[in-house]
Amino acid sequence: MIKLEPGQLWVMRIHAAIFALVLAVAAIVFETAIVPEIGFPRGLIAGITLLLILYLMLISPGRHYRAWGYRMDEEDLRLRRGVWVETHTIVPLDRVQHLDLSQGPIERAFGVSRLIVHTAGTQFSRVVLPGLSRPDAERMRDEIRTRIGREEA
Amino acid sequence: MSGEIEAAAPAGALSATVADRHVHPGTIVLRFVKELPSTVLALPAVLAFTSDIGLVGVLTFAATLAAVMAGINWLAWSRFRYGVGTSDIVIEKGILNRTRRSIPFDRVQDVDIERRLLQRVFGLAKVRIETGGAGTDEGLIDSVTIAEADRLRTAVRAGKSEAASVPADAQPAGGAPATDSNLLFAMGPGRVLMLGLFNFSLVYIAGLFALLQTFQNMLPFDIYDPARWAGLVGNHLPERLTAAAILAVLFLALLLGVIAGVATTVSREYGFRLADEGKRMRRERGLLTHTEIVLGKKRIQVALIQTGPVRSRFGWFALFFQSLGAGSDGSGRQSAAPFAREAELDPILEAAGRFRRPAEMLERVSNRTVLRASLPLALPAAAIMVSAAWAPDRLWLLLLLPLFAAASAIQRRFHRYALADGLLFIQRGVWRRRLWIVPVERVQALGISRSRPQRLLDLATLTVDTAGAPATGGARIVDLRYPAALALAEQLRVGQGQL
Repeated sequence: MIKLEPGQLWVMRIHAAIFALVLAVAAIVFETAIVPEIGFPRGLIAGITLLLILYLMLISPGRHYRAWGYRMDEEDLRLRRGVWVETHTIVPLDRVQHLDLSQGPIERAFGVSRLIVHTAGTQFSRVVLPGLSRPDAERMRDEIRTRIGREEA
Repeated sequence: MSGEIEAAAPAGALSATVADRHVHPGTIVLRFVKELPSTVLALPAVLAFTSDIGLVGVLTFAATLAAVMAGINWLAWSRFRYGVGTSDIVIEKGILNRTRRSIPFDRVQDVDIERRLLQRVFGLAKVRIETGGAGTDEGLIDSVTIAEADRLRTAVRAGKSEAASVPADAQPAGGAPATDSNLLFAMGPGRVLMLGLFNFSLVYIAGLFALLQTFQNMLPFDIYDPARWAGLVGNHLPERLTAAAILAVLFLALLLGVIAGVATTVSREYGFRLADEGKRMRRERGLLTHTEIVLGKKRIQVALIQTGPVRSRFGWFALFFQSLGAGSDGSGRQSAAPFAREAELDPILEAAGRFRRPAEMLERVSNRTVLRASLPLALPAAAIMVSAAWAPDRLWLLLLLPLFAAASAIQRRFHRYALADGLLFIQRGVWRRRLWIVPVERVQALGISRSRPQRLLDLATLTVDTAGAPATGGARIVDLRYPAALALAEQLRVGQGQL
């Protein structure tokens, strides 16, 4: 299995940081505005949130990054991901309906792209592979496209 | 034709399609007009009512908002580009999140040209490119001139090779009359009535209670007070409501359940007929609203045989086909035989293509599934033991836990699978016993997932995704041994390659 580009780890960290920020704001609001009103033990929520934020910022991105892997051969695109629930996905290339190459602002800053493969299925109608370098993503997209043309001919 | 050229050309020679066209600039105005009521009118109106900034303030706010909206619309317009290449159509879009979509011509099912009132005013048209994918907005070009829309449609249709469209064979549903119609399955009134009896549902008893509640103030008791119920049976109103009377009410409720079940079933399934018409099947049914659908055989993805503990005892089965956009009432699961003997299913399955009932023994999933199901019980078990320190009489609760293990052991008995002749059979469910028959070439993607407890026990869940599958409750095998799941996935892939 091929690892994702290192830039993706930073993308994951920033996503985690944004989520952590939202959590922190919510916890602060709760501690200052609601806790004194209802007589909830002080600092309990803040403490739990702090632990959660530490996990989100320090441990979670690395674990998710390491859990990711992909491989593409003549026949299939295979993805592996997930920390709590580990998932392997096998998408036969001749089942791909159409393809997206996507890049958000954070991803652009770290030079990674997302390849999104659409199939006719339901649960796997949209299979996302993040953390590819632009040339890699374009090469994979072109390979899948050629593969679709070949199968129809 | 172009597909052959594609195939001959090496991967590197695949010409990259350049997305160099914008949609018509009128689209900016069009969107702006469409958003007008919700933004430039509604928000300032809310502001005017909720604050006291005065008319000038509100107008300034509205003007700013309008300018911002126009700016965003212009930006979205300038970032939206499309282009038609030799083998695909490319759409680039997004202001912050940039996406470049490539839709191969061979995957295009249909090109729709849509013209709403506003678009007509501007002489524009919306082009919708549909593929076999599950989504709806697969390729939306909003909006271009009518001439450009026609050009797009022609280009896509010309680029499409003849042998195109997998998995759904583009095939007109309905239309031409059948050449030779061959009856596959039909239900007489007797059979429909019998099915109605099996469709008896306790839901109607709940309905009766709802009715009772409506007329509650006319009754001499509170229907939700069990003490009163008991009192009624006992000595409260012995002369008016005896035990026999209660029994009579219950009997009435049961009867109502039966009648309602029969009525709904008869109105839906009366005159059920499934006929084979060569490339497709035609189904008719219904008493008051007679419906007729046409099922293209090539569109059938999966066959599903369903029964229940009682039904299977009496030897009754239901057959469904999972299909892509079939006939008038859409895709998804279509009933092919609601109430049939096992042997009656065989000709239908055969007529539908490569389907058959499993002749071979299906294999059970791993016996560790019982452990996996029981693992989450460790926590409540520990809680009970700890609490028993204060209240020893609570220990009896521990006796409930083996019930869960027993339930999962029973579930395992009914969860089996097999792969034979390129058909994957999956049986699952105790109350709703379902048997999926999935031809390997219909598999769109495979998923093998492992939760924490599953990893601990070396188990996995194999999900087989097919076109038109329901979002939940699709075909999957839960708690195979992990190596077995991997091996089965490989076998499925090899099976696909051979076809």
